[in-house]
Amino acid sequence: MEILIKAVYILIFPGLLFATVFGLWLAGIDRKLLARMQKRVGPPVLQPTYDFFKLLGKETIIPANAAKVTFLAAPYVGLISLVVTALFIPIGGLQAFGGMADTVVILYLMAIPSLAIIFGGSASGSPFAGVGVSRSMVSIMSYELPLILVLLAVGRAAAYGGYTTFSLEQITVIQQLTGPFLLDWRLIPAAVAMLLVIPCEVGAHPFDVGEAETEICEGPLVEYSGAPLAVFKLSHCIKMFIMTALFTALFLGGVTTGMLWLDVIIALVFCTIVTVVSMTLTHAVMARFRVEQLFKFFWTVVSGLALVSLILVWYV
Amino acid sequence: MFKKLIDNSAAKSPWLFHINAGSCNGCDIELVAVLTPRYDAERLGFKLAGTPRHADIVVVSGPITAQSKDRVVRTIEQVPDPKVVVTLGSCPRSCNVFKGSYSVVGPLDKYVDIDVSIAGCAPKPEAIIDGLALATQILKEKRGAKE
Amino acid sequence: MTYDVYMHFPVLAIMALFVGAFLVTLSGKREVLRNIIAGAAVLIALTLLALLIKPVMVDGEIITYWMGNWEPVNGYAIGIALEVDALSLFFGLLVAIAVACSCFYSFQYIRQDDARGGYFTLYLMLAGGVMGIVLSGDLFNIYVMLEVMTFAAVGLTAFRTWNPNAREAAFKYLVVGSIGSSCVLLGTALVYAQCHTLNLAQISALIPGRMNPTMVLAFALLFTGFGCKSFMFPFHPIAADAHGAAPSSVSVLISGVFTKTGVYGIIRVSYFLFRSMGLTSMQTGLVFIGCVSMFVCVTMALNQHDFKRLLAFHSISQIGYILTSLGLCTALGIAGGLYHAINHTLFKGLLFLTAGAVLYATGTTYLEKLGGLARKMPQTAALFLIGAFSISGIPPFNGFYSKWMIYQATFEKASETGSIGYALVTVVCVVTSVLTLASFIKVGQSVFFGQMPLEYENVKETPLSMRIPMWIMAALCVFTGVAPNIMINYVIGPATGAVLNFPGYIDAAMGEGYAAATITDTGYLAEPRLLTIGAWNPVNWLLLFVVVLAAVFLVSILGKRDRGEVNCAPDSKHAVFFGGEESQYSHVASGDLFWGFKHNLRGYLGFMSKAHSGVTNDYVLWGVTALAVIILYCFAFM
Repeated sequence: MEILIKAVYILIFPGLLFATVFGLWLAGIDRKLLARMQKRVGPPVLQPTYDFFKLLGKETIIPANAAKVTFLAAPYVGLISLVVTALFIPIGGLQAFGGMADTVVILYLMAIPSLAIIFGGSASGSPFAGVGVSRSMVSIMSYELPLILVLLAVGRAAAYGGYTTFSLEQITVIQQLTGPFLLDWRLIPAAVAMLLVIPCEVGAHPFDVGEAETEICEGPLVEYSGAPLAVFKLSHCIKMFIMTALFTALFLGGVTTGMLWLDVIIALVFCTIVTVVSMTLTHAVMARFRVEQLFKFFWTVVSGLALVSLILVWYV
Repeated sequence: MFKKLIDNSAAKSPWLFHINAGSCNGCDIELVAVLTPRYDAERLGFKLAGTPRHADIVVVSGPITAQSKDRVVRTIEQVPDPKVVVTLGSCPRSCNVFKGSYSVVGPLDKYVDIDVSIAGCAPKPEAIIDGLALATQILKEKRGAKE
Repeated sequence: MTYDVYMHFPVLAIMALFVGAFLVTLSGKREVLRNIIAGAAVLIALTLLALLIKPVMVDGEIITYWMGNWEPVNGYAIGIALEVDALSLFFGLLVAIAVACSCFYSFQYIRQDDARGGYFTLYLMLAGGVMGIVLSGDLFNIYVMLEVMTFAAVGLTAFRTWNPNAREAAFKYLVVGSIGSSCVLLGTALVYAQCHTLNLAQISALIPGRMNPTMVLAFALLFTGFGCKSFMFPFHPIAADAHGAAPSSVSVLISGVFTKTGVYGIIRVSYFLFRSMGLTSMQTGLVFIGCVSMFVCVTMALNQHDFKRLLAFHSISQIGYILTSLGLCTALGIAGGLYHAINHTLFKGLLFLTAGAVLYATGTTYLEKLGGLARKMPQTAALFLIGAFSISGIPPFNGFYSKWMIYQATFEKASETGSIGYALVTVVCVVTSVLTLASFIKVGQSVFFGQMPLEYENVKETPLSMRIPMWIMAALCVFTGVAPNIMINYVIGPATGAVLNFPGYIDAAMGEGYAAATITDTGYLAEPRLLTIGAWNPVNWLLLFVVVLAAVFLVSILGKRDRGEVNCAPDSKHAVFFGGEESQYSHVASGDLFWGFKHNLRGYLGFMSKAHSGVTNDYVLWGVTALAVIILYCFAFM
């Protein structure tokens, strides 16, 4: 029975199936609302799903001078590690595998899919991919600094008995006592910083310097086609789910009604709202950053916001 | 297991790759107009891809100059199957007013099979959407024909 | 104390290496004999130390061995002692593993060089010297071994005499290294003058009662001396030259082992002898040095164009992690630092060996000349990826676990002391880790992936005898990453306990009750307890990964008929997309990468490149300045 429940967790509810479906749904909502913001009709909400299945049906071309194993394995490693990461994040009080990974571990686990794209692109042997690899790495360097500052600020805010924490469970529990951290004025700068980190981490416009299709032919993805490309696109969608779920757990946790299923639905609604606010809005109003502007923006403005929060939490 | 889903999706998410083979830019801006809020081809799932590897539909405009011929042929070849080649405007089919120029080696059908031709100099956005919609049907057929 | 046969193991381990060094010389030009002797020597040392795990690590015994049976008389330890507690054994094991792997690797690796007999003599001398330092219980003995080790290392650095860089690096190494040695010698002399003994245990019992300006000076000198041996900032530039110029199998030793003796020395001096780590000022100082080493060296590494020089800078960056963590003076911090020490030896050893494999196969380690080697050397590429993921701290590899402990230790320290500074140390650690990742992506893209220059069309995978040691190290990297509980229970935990258990160390040498009689403050630290503030379970992660992998695999099998085909052929359809042009050689390599980052930090990076002028005089000046600053700091705050 225990094993059966675990299997359901892994394969169905927060795991493989749900992460896929919900990720595709978030991406669909994102595209639809973006279109509405630009006064367009926009694609159907299922459009990312169609894209995914269409790509599965396409031919997969492996470039002649690619490192084949890395080229083909990278997308799957990225996808699977993302699905596993999704299991560690509490969704509205539901913790599929609690006590196995904390915020810092998730920060590092989220680097694996980015690395998968980087090494996959690198293995294709394309010079466009080479430039894309360089840019993707710069964007990783850009967001890690503000992200760790945000995590430390939240960890301090969730301190209990003088002990700061990295534990997501403790962050959730403390929020049940004090109310969501988003309502704590000291943490608002950190929340704003986190909202800006999400699109960069996901690789969404306007921070998608690494996969800029107009400049460098989608960077690391330039040589991918067919099923591996589908898997990368799916990873992108699941990343949206994980990052918004992380935001929800960090800043909007502890909203309880007493019924688990209702809590979960509320958390998922929060995820959708966070997607719209952090990704769709920024996409609609901003043009793509240049790579050095991106780095500067994140290491000054965004990190500054997060640092202000950390200092406020520490001393106020 | 996913046959039906994949077959149905084949027509619903056509990604375009646009090649300019010496075009005067007239057709090109019309193609961009198709993606603007007024015509919004994205509601049919159209999207401009950055690389031929991601594309389903290759849109060629221009009369195929001697310089561009090899590049066009090579790029079309690099698109994964199933793929559809669409010519945009009169130039790729007939070389239009450029016919007879020392630098023009068109039309395109000398080198690759063409699935859809959109006529006009330049074609109206409505015509382009019509042609692309036809192309998506051919895409689906090609996917089905493979079985 | 009961008599056991394993009492003799430490001395035999050291002797095996030194005797091996002389026997190798006698073997002359007979290569097989020479390889057998060298291999036997390192294996004997490794086996003897492995046999000590049971009594020392598990049962917590401290082995004291008096050379020539010169036991202490009237409470004064005149004879030379070998004293092996869990900390010594920890470093000893780490040394033995690295030495063994690298030794077997070098049988094939140095085939291309001349003067191969001398190589193994120096190699075993270096290994014996290091082993002597970590197992010794005598301050002067440590100094002697330090000199043996340094001169062997200098000789090995200059081993490729045809390479002018190697000779220059050896010279720099000699000059700057002698600053460190002189500091250690002077410090030892001052300690001897004050305490009238050279036995570590007795010094550690006597010092706290007689802290005077002379002892402060002695501490500063010893600290700087060992710091120089660990190549901490600002002694790091010579490390880059030396690691880069030496043969890779030697770089493994210099980076993975030689620097660890410095760390070991710092632990012994500041935790045992002077027990100054309880002072906030010393903690701040060590953490500051650690952070600066970490950040400066990682940014320098990002600027490098040579595989081995890049690795060399990373060594110091990782030493920075270790020092930072040790400077926290909490149980978790010490455990994290020691864990990182063993991890660093493993992954950096692995990376140096892969660099050596690249050099062996292609004849160069210059990043801009290489490319696309993953197709010709798939195993080396896989090994490189394991090493790179380990050092960049990608879960579930080992670097992640120790870094994660360090982040927790620093953040915990921040909440304990209420100082936001330690939280910023956590931030520096994370940023350094990201920059480490960046520089290894640079290596991956420049050497193993991307496009391959035509001249490497005939490159072959390295021979099996070189791959096996690399695979062993890679396996250890994975093992220490996924089984942290075993490591902590049997290796790290006892070693951490040993760092804090100086009364036991004193009693083992000087007789029961000596510590209690001479020391009033028994320990500035309570029982070591490892309190983590987060959670990470690599085994479960792996299990989940496998389950999801199986599910994805199953789905992909079910949908196999309807998926598109997978094709690869050497025609123009499958050539790399070049915007329509014919595919050609165009490799994006090291110098072209990370423009956005370099552009924003150009002021800092330019200053750093200029500061690392490569002039020996400058580096000596840095070293002497550091010595002066450390002495002043100690006088001001101790």
